[in-house]
Amino acid sequence: MKIAISGKGGSGKTTISATLTRLIGRRGFPVLAIDGDPNPNLIQALGLGSGIVAEAVPPNVVAREDQNGATRHVLTTSIADIISQYGLKAPDNVTVLVGTKVDHAGAG
Amino acid sequence: MRSIVGEIVSNSESVTVMDMEASIEHMSRGTVRYADVLLVVLEPYYRSMETAGRTAPLARALGIKRIYGIANKLRGASDAEAVEAYCRNHELELIARIPFDENVTEADRIGRAVIDYDARSPIVKELSRTAGFLLRGAPASGNGTGGN
Repeated sequence: MKIAISGKGGSGKTTISATLTRLIGRRGFPVLAIDGDPNPNLIQALGLGSGIVAEAVPPNVVAREDQNGATRHVLTTSIADIISQYGLKAPDNVTVLVGTKVDHAGAG
Repeated sequence: MRSIVGEIVSNSESVTVMDMEASIEHMSRGTVRYADVLLVVLEPYYRSMETAGRTAPLARALGIKRIYGIANKLRGASDAEAVEAYCRNHELELIARIPFDENVTEADRIGRAVIDYDARSPIVKELSRTAGFLLRGAPASGNGTGGN
């Protein structure tokens, strides 16, 4: 199940995202949390503390392939590798990635 | 055009939760397309509800199958009624009614997750019901007025 959460700044979206993520993980499901907000605060909200800075996943994990005149995006490395290199472990079966740098690279 | 977050999400077998930009209008369409569920957070004031009201049809147009509202910071019955009425009129199904919860401010002030600060706080209790609903499709919600 892939859940996206949106909301105006100040609405409590990040607190809700983090709390819901921890609660799903607490029920025994491994959860991948992705911070796509231009002001990434999800790591702190998940309970990892304010001193931790995660390295954002860089845009070069995806390459563009041109095939028959169409452009495809393909991962240049496996999900497992992305997670092991950039993912942070949070309590309750949660892994968090900061996806800010990569999300806008592919916007369209 | 796919987004990279979308690529990661679509290749992941776990449950994924994407904390997105404030407004779906600014979101990468590629990312959102990979979502099975979109949760729209709204507060009981006009501009917040209007933003949510614009988000739901955009999300439907992108093909997201399950779109739900999460009402937050509700202070009392009139806030709850305002949000309920708005959501009814805009075809947005509300699945959580979170009261204004001081524990959020307190936890944030000391840099802790609210679930660690107080696992029995109203926001955690309500979102626990929401998690259950999302994971198994069962109906669940409190009344958002701060009761235990």
